Amino acid sequence: MKTLNFLSKRFLEQCKTVCVNRIVVDYQRFGFHDFKQNDTIFALSSGFGKCGVAVIRVSGDHTKQVIKEITGCKNLPKPRQAFVSKLRHPKTQVMLDRALVMWFSAPNSFTGEDICEFQVHGGPAVIASVLNALSSIKGLRPAAAGDYTKRAFLNNKLDLTEVEGLGDLIHAETEAQRRQALHQMEGSLSVLYKQWSKDLLKCTAHVEAYIDFSEDQGLHNDLLGNVKNEVKELLQKIRKHLLDKHRGEILRSGVRVAIVGEPNVGKSSLLNAIIQRPAAIVSPIAGTTRDVIETSLDIEGYPVLISDTAGLRDSSNAIEQEGIIRAHKKAEQADLVIFMVDGQNLKNDVNLEEFLVQHAFKLGIELSIRAENVVVIVNKTDLISSGLLSELESFKRFPIILLSCETFDGFSGFMNLFTKMVQSLCGVTALGEIPSVTQQRHRDHLTSCIEYLESSLNITEQDIVIAAEYLRMALNEIGKISGKVGAEEILDVIFKDFCIGK
Amino acid sequence: MTVMIKWLSSKLILRREKLLKLQRNLLHLSSAQTDEELYYDVIVVGGGHAGCEAAAASARVGARTLLLTHKIHKIGEMSCNPSFGGIGKGHLIKEIDALDGLCGRICDVSGIQYRMLNRRKGPAVWGPRAQIDRDLYRTNMQQEILNTTNLSVLEGSVEDLVIDELTGEERDVSTDTKCRCTGVVLKDGTKIGSKGVVLTAGTFLRGQINIGLEVRPAGRMGDAPAVGIAQTIEELGFTMGRLKTGTPPRITKKSVRFDKMKSYHGDDPPQPFSFENDQVWIESHDQLTCYTTFTKPGLAEIVRGTLHLNKHVKEEVNGPRYCPSIESKILKFNEEKYLLWLEPEGLDSDLLYLQGFGCTMPEEHQRKAVRMIDGMEQSVIAEPGYGVEYDYMDPRQVAPTLQTYKVLGLYFAGQINGTTGYEEAAAQGLIAGVNAARRVKGLKDFIVSRSEGYIGVLIDDLTTMGTNEPYRMFTSRSEFRMSLRPDNADQRLTIRGYHEGGCVSSQRYHKTTKRLNELQIATDLLKSTSKSVAAWRQLVGMKPAVVEKVLGKSGFEFLADCSYAECSIDPILSLFSELDCIRENYWLSERLKTESLYSVLLPKQQKEISALQSEEHLVIPSTIDYNALSVKMEVREKLAKARPQNIAAATRIPGVTPSALVQLLMHVKKLSREMI
Repeated sequence: MKTLNFLSKRFLEQCKTVCVNRIVVDYQRFGFHDFKQNDTIFALSSGFGKCGVAVIRVSGDHTKQVIKEITGCKNLPKPRQAFVSKLRHPKTQVMLDRALVMWFSAPNSFTGEDICEFQVHGGPAVIASVLNALSSIKGLRPAAAGDYTKRAFLNNKLDLTEVEGLGDLIHAETEAQRRQALHQMEGSLSVLYKQWSKDLLKCTAHVEAYIDFSEDQGLHNDLLGNVKNEVKELLQKIRKHLLDKHRGEILRSGVRVAIVGEPNVGKSSLLNAIIQRPAAIVSPIAGTTRDVIETSLDIEGYPVLISDTAGLRDSSNAIEQEGIIRAHKKAEQADLVIFMVDGQNLKNDVNLEEFLVQHAFKLGIELSIRAENVVVIVNKTDLISSGLLSELESFKRFPIILLSCETFDGFSGFMNLFTKMVQSLCGVTALGEIPSVTQQRHRDHLTSCIEYLESSLNITEQDIVIAAEYLRMALNEIGKISGKVGAEEILDVIFKDFCIGK
Repeated sequence: MTVMIKWLSSKLILRREKLLKLQRNLLHLSSAQTDEELYYDVIVVGGGHAGCEAAAASARVGARTLLLTHKIHKIGEMSCNPSFGGIGKGHLIKEIDALDGLCGRICDVSGIQYRMLNRRKGPAVWGPRAQIDRDLYRTNMQQEILNTTNLSVLEGSVEDLVIDELTGEERDVSTDTKCRCTGVVLKDGTKIGSKGVVLTAGTFLRGQINIGLEVRPAGRMGDAPAVGIAQTIEELGFTMGRLKTGTPPRITKKSVRFDKMKSYHGDDPPQPFSFENDQVWIESHDQLTCYTTFTKPGLAEIVRGTLHLNKHVKEEVNGPRYCPSIESKILKFNEEKYLLWLEPEGLDSDLLYLQGFGCTMPEEHQRKAVRMIDGMEQSVIAEPGYGVEYDYMDPRQVAPTLQTYKVLGLYFAGQINGTTGYEEAAAQGLIAGVNAARRVKGLKDFIVSRSEGYIGVLIDDLTTMGTNEPYRMFTSRSEFRMSLRPDNADQRLTIRGYHEGGCVSSQRYHKTTKRLNELQIATDLLKSTSKSVAAWRQLVGMKPAVVEKVLGKSGFEFLADCSYAECSIDPILSLFSELDCIRENYWLSERLKTESLYSVLLPKQQKEISALQSEEHLVIPSTIDYNALSVKMEVREKLAKARPQNIAAATRIPGVTPSALVQLLMHVKKLSREMI
């Protein structure tokens, strides 16, 4: 039992698969035979963070259907045989990844149900996209902590000698969950969810107080009206949060970056420097780049789609004009804009901010220089006077990058900033990564929460018990993110907020 | 030796056949007396609300039962408020009745005002409540108890329990079990043997009454506390705590000006508690009135000015949140005025119960305080309010059958487990009585799950989480409120109570089956009949809707609309001659509406219930050694203290981590395997 502690997690994963071959115990004997889980669950079964291969596991009645929908195969492949397949989003048919797929048919699987394992590439974006695709399939839900083990147990799949070994394994699993929970606990997100949970608890408690005590106790007059308003407010907050910056979508499709600026400021040179190969033709002639040059790359595990665009200027050349129109479009669609200027155009004692604003205006790009998703690069620092350089270096009003694509001076500083911005767009904060998987889970719970809150508002007039039920369900959903809320907590609020007594 | 039941109240008017039955009971007792040693299957100690239900339930299951009480004429005494039921509590009465318990039926012949609380809210939280005539209730309860087959009553004071060593088999039942209880010893030294003892001591265990600075030992006003038995329990090693509660002063009716108060009348028609009754004993227009009024601002001054003379309040640090004294309310909330209720104490009584005004200040100050109430400027106190302090057992020491883990055959029920309220006590009494009797007869335990009833919620909360303040039932304690309704308690419990509890008479069983069958037929029929909503609306005489959201509905679905609109469904029922039986029974047709109302969300709730039940099937053996789990010490301690009976209960214990649960799951599995 102890030796297992030293083994890698990957090996432990394999142990789980080995269990598949274990004895099927007499179902009847323990009286669990009638136990049937309805939902099909899915989760990332390998560890979080960047890794070579990630394993996503689906368990339940819908598994076969999931395989068909996501791999597009017409006939189900043989169980227990690995095969390579493209994975596609069942709704959009967008390709997600090429993966090694293997499934186990019930009852010969870890949980005793149909199980499918998708071994996908280990980037967070890929994982997120596959999890997202799975959650779009009806009847599937993200697994809660310990769900797989519980099902395995209930289906009599966990057994005697495995018990000890698996004890450690599950410990590892829950330990990871614990670490992860702790991780999130420190984040601002958790503070937010906790607050919502608290707000909603109060609403629920007040409705409960209305049900249990308004008849024979003097409660505040417009109790229900106030609750309704608070629920509406909360609804708005959650809705706004879910729409916030489309982080999930960005992560799924890659961060779109556009490099824009005048002709011949070094945009193509920057692109080539970032991707470390000469993808764009570089020449001293202004207007060399006429079309959009798009390249995808991996920045610290996050997908980035970077576009070099035609230099913006008034041009009479029809081809260049079209190129400029496309450049504008790219800039509008981009999640992140790199705005490049030629350092040689700057003079001593220049008001940099004013210059940039006017310059952007002149080029006809709508850009807020100080926006979070804009990087200003002053290129060709090797060609400007040292006096101007030191003047620019002392500019502190907002971050600018001083760079020479010729000498690569300042390039590492640029890459650092660039990486940070990409990460932040993908939901990584200074406090650490907010795991994309749990984010998906959060999104699911918050979406359900919104649904229940809306239902509660609709029904208040008719039957307060049903409205209260919806509130409890909404509270439960948030509870699945920030911690369970029980009846006792509700009563605590009731007795804190109201003077109740016979 | 002891006073036999020769005491018969002159108020007791027994009909001839009942008298005959009573004589049989007496006969039965005297034959026992001639035995060398007195012996009963089950002894119930205490004649309060828990004791009465326990004794009657045990007798119904078929065990020879003895009810031991200090004073027979105090059996069924309502020591505090003159009412039964309410929100949450009313649910309990309906469930007790569904299991053929007594209090619902007794209330139907003792009430002086019946009112359904929460009428404006959903029927799932309707709270059947009644003002009760104390004397009538006592009289009727005594008549019932003294006429129950298998049940004998004896007046006497229990001083001690007879404790024996465990037999070999019993030793294996649980690691916590130390000994077994085989009877009781009375004050005069008489030993009465039994296989089960249900202790329903109420507030009598080292009870004391507090008024002002004065403290006197008493279980309730005018009755001595039980000290000997408290010592015995302590010596057995039970963890005890101390709880406080109180009762308000009683006011002379003549001294109150009702014209300044808001009056509340009984319902017309009054709805009976018992599923067996179609109506209550009192005529609708004969019902008495209740009143509400408010305190005046000057009251706070009196309370604050007498704090130094008020021992109970000073010590009431963690006092009952659910029925705080007026002193506590003022000190804690400091509101301008407080709502009070004036309730009649009985049909002929000259007294009023001042609900919401529990107080423990010295009597002379109480006299001034009650005049600080609108309409009571000249009021006179007949009996002052007082505080009660008493011992209770940490209820985590009893199993869901209410048998103690430590002592086999010993059951605790009622206030002794830390609850407050007649209904909470009665519910526990019933469960303890049934299980004590079943154990004697070698039958399987009868446990109500929290998915089946408020009784289950009550006992599960107590036995897994314990309590440090008097526990009172609220509807918010139940997670399955839409399913656990007052109207369907019979459906939830009567059939099970008959087959698995053995505590329901076959007469009630057949009546219930018939009723449920009728409802089922009606539901099926209405579900299979669809019409346009406009047609349905026209049929019941509703105005056409401005905007029709749904075009067609089944008759069953449309009943929900009728429920919201509060219109009669008779025109719908008239469509089918099969439904005449429902149309003729107002309560049944109301019930059908309610079914429809919640049918939208019930499948969702049903799913949650099945999930809970499957976890409840994962029984944790009582022999489990929590030290064998590799979880944090504090979690282990929490588990050991709460002794969850199954995985579902374990998940509800605060502070038990998911990883601990997984461990527990595996441990359970391993143990059950080893046992096979």
